[in-house]
Amino acid sequence: PSPVMTNTKPLYLCSPFAEAALVKGNFKTIVMLPKYVDVMEWVAVNIFDFYNNLNLFYGIVAECCTAQACPAMSAGPSLDYTWIDQNRRQVKLPAPTYIDYVMTWVQNMLDDEGVFPTKAGREFSQSFPATAKHIYRQLLRVFAHIYHAHYPQILHLRSEPHFNSLFAHFLAFGKEFDLLEVKDVKGNLQHGAVGVGDLWEKWKDMGILES
Amino acid sequence: SSNSAKPADYVYFDRTTAGFSEEAVPKAKGAQLKLEHFYKVAVESAIERNQRRVDLERRLQQDMTMSDERKQRQLLQLGKKESTFLRLRRTRLGLDDFKTVKVIGKGAFGEVRLVQKTDTGKIYAMKTLKKEEMLKKDQLAHVRAERDVLAESNSPWVVQLFYSFQDSAYLYLIMEFLPGGDLMTMLIKYDTFSEDVTRFYIAECVLAIEAVHKLGFIHRDIKPDNILIDKDGHIKLSDFGLSTGFHREHDSNYYQRLLDQANGVTSPTNPQQAARNSVMVNAIHLTISSKDQIATWKANRRKLAYSTVGTPDYIAPEIFLLQGYGNECDWWSLGAIMFECLVGYPPFCSETPHETYKKIVNWRYNLMFPDDVHLSREAEDLIRRLITSQDQRLTVDQIKQHPFFYGVDWASIRNIDAPFVPHLRSITDTSYFPTDELEQVPDEPVGADTSGANKDLAFLGYTFKRFTVSSHAF
Ligand SMILES: Nc1ncnc2c1ncn2[C@@H]1O[C@H](COP(=O)(O)OP(=O)(O)OP(=O)(O)O)[C@@H](O)[C@H]1O
Repeated sequence: PSPVMTNTKPLYLCSPFAEAALVKGNFKTIVMLPKYVDVMEWVAVNIFDFYNNLNLFYGIVAECCTAQACPAMSAGPSLDYTWIDQNRRQVKLPAPTYIDYVMTWVQNMLDDEGVFPTKAGREFSQSFPATAKHIYRQLLRVFAHIYHAHYPQILHLRSEPHFNSLFAHFLAFGKEFDLLEVKDVKGNLQHGAVGVGDLWEKWKDMGILES
Repeated sequence: SSNSAKPADYVYFDRTTAGFSEEAVPKAKGAQLKLEHFYKVAVESAIERNQRRVDLERRLQQDMTMSDERKQRQLLQLGKKESTFLRLRRTRLGLDDFKTVKVIGKGAFGEVRLVQKTDTGKIYAMKTLKKEEMLKKDQLAHVRAERDVLAESNSPWVVQLFYSFQDSAYLYLIMEFLPGGDLMTMLIKYDTFSEDVTRFYIAECVLAIEAVHKLGFIHRDIKPDNILIDKDGHIKLSDFGLSTGFHREHDSNYYQRLLDQANGVTSPTNPQQAARNSVMVNAIHLTISSKDQIATWKANRRKLAYSTVGTPDYIAPEIFLLQGYGNECDWWSLGAIMFECLVGYPPFCSETPHETYKKIVNWRYNLMFPDDVHLSREAEDLIRRLITSQDQRLTVDQIKQHPFFYGVDWASIRNIDAPFVPHLRSITDTSYFPTDELEQVPDEPVGADTSGANKDLAFLGYTFKRFTVSSHAF
């Protein structure tokens, strides 16, 4: 696998990779809340699917995402995410550790009847929308890291149409249900820009996503 | 595409898998296929969900008698149902959600157990299919397609499938439990049925087979083991197509090989040899159904049901030959079952599958009605019009008109009293199953975890949960 190019335009923004897609057409058809359906249920099952699909694709680059190759959870030339530990301290972690924490944390939530109820008659709690947003933000970081640090590997493994569509779907869904903050997708001056922020803009320009 | 059309930021990227581990490429391929399947299903579900809503809205709109309030309630009800279905998708089911009560059956690829869902206490039949066996027998392509058809069916004539899940060793099918056992067990017990009893079962089978055909599905391997009896004594066809009906062994090559072995031809068949050894030049067995032969057949009947080869007794000749077939092959099978109900053994029974096969292919010389059993003219006539060449065989409408069925009310037969109604002492009563013969079968499937990425892929999309939010399923 080739190293990440830093001084040129990232490959995921270049043609023909930026426009590679498994799913063509308007994401609205699969994103919109089906009429009469409970919005919590809809968001829950979609988060469940995004998590599983993202896990699947992280799984294919995981062998390249090692503590040596990725000593930081990077998502842009000058952006490393920090993890908040149990003592509410910000800690820098190698990307594989960070991602493992995220995925384990999300999996535990998905398995928690109190957060993602599956038994008949059990309701979602009042805090579910906030939790959903929180999960979405962390999953976005995993996408952002893969795009920033592992896109060449995605290309070597011919998975870019799939991964792009998964991410575009993730963005479209996040926008529809207010699960995404613009600042999280694009980053800021203080902490640095998120690489995928430019991809988001590009996809909007190209009409792949609605603006 | 010409170079001039390429955008300014067009880059060439040399793809290589050098430097990746051995698993990387198959893993990536696996992930891609899974995602493709995911989006295919996502789009299909969106369309179907939409259709369900539009259908209901239209129906309500046309209803002039219902109050607006009730209409609104019905729409909310649909929303609830759809929401429950979405929830079910997040619900992981595994072996540990079910408790085995008893082993009740054995099939080609695994066993059938009476189980109880731990949280709800509901009773189901759980069928296990050993993946490895199915891979070996090349059954996977069939499993998917056929399951999809049956999963959609709401027919009272077909055993309902509620959930399915898998682990690395098995597929698990959770279906409705039919406490009355199967027709094979009943025939072993009673030997023969009267014509009235036969009329009832065969008439119900006619409707069941017709229902399956209407789903666009051919069974190809209907046999008494697949005809199950519900708590009221009415029949349902088992979840065939999941494993039954499509045994590789039932194809003509397999039988050709069997024949060749019997004839001392050891090398794999080539077309010329096949022609030279064709069944037409083999001696025709005129010594059918001697008492000994029938006794052996009966003694081995259940063993045959447990083997992957299965019994070819009920299979139509055109299935074996390379001449193509349609759903009329199922009416042949019904003819063979009807013969067995009245005579006590199927028309071409022999000591070995390959002899049975030869007799079926030469059915003209081998179909015989024994002198010591009395059959009405109508019964014999119907059998002869089913066990006959493809082009002569009766169609479903002709079957229903046949004098043997005189007096049968086709529209209400499922509602009348059945000849044998199981006496059940509890919802977990297994007295209609040969459980003592299955005592060696362990309560839990023995799970050897040997699956690789490829094996799992073959079961892509298998995990299934029934949409119908019937009160029983939850
Ligand atoms: N839903 C059910 N309720 C009660 N008993 C069942 C049910 N399904 C199957 N059985 C019992 O288990 C036996 C074996 O099941 P089945 O015939 O479906 O297995 P199989 O693997 O398909 O076998 P084969 O492929 O050889 O037909 C049946 O003959 C019947 O006695």
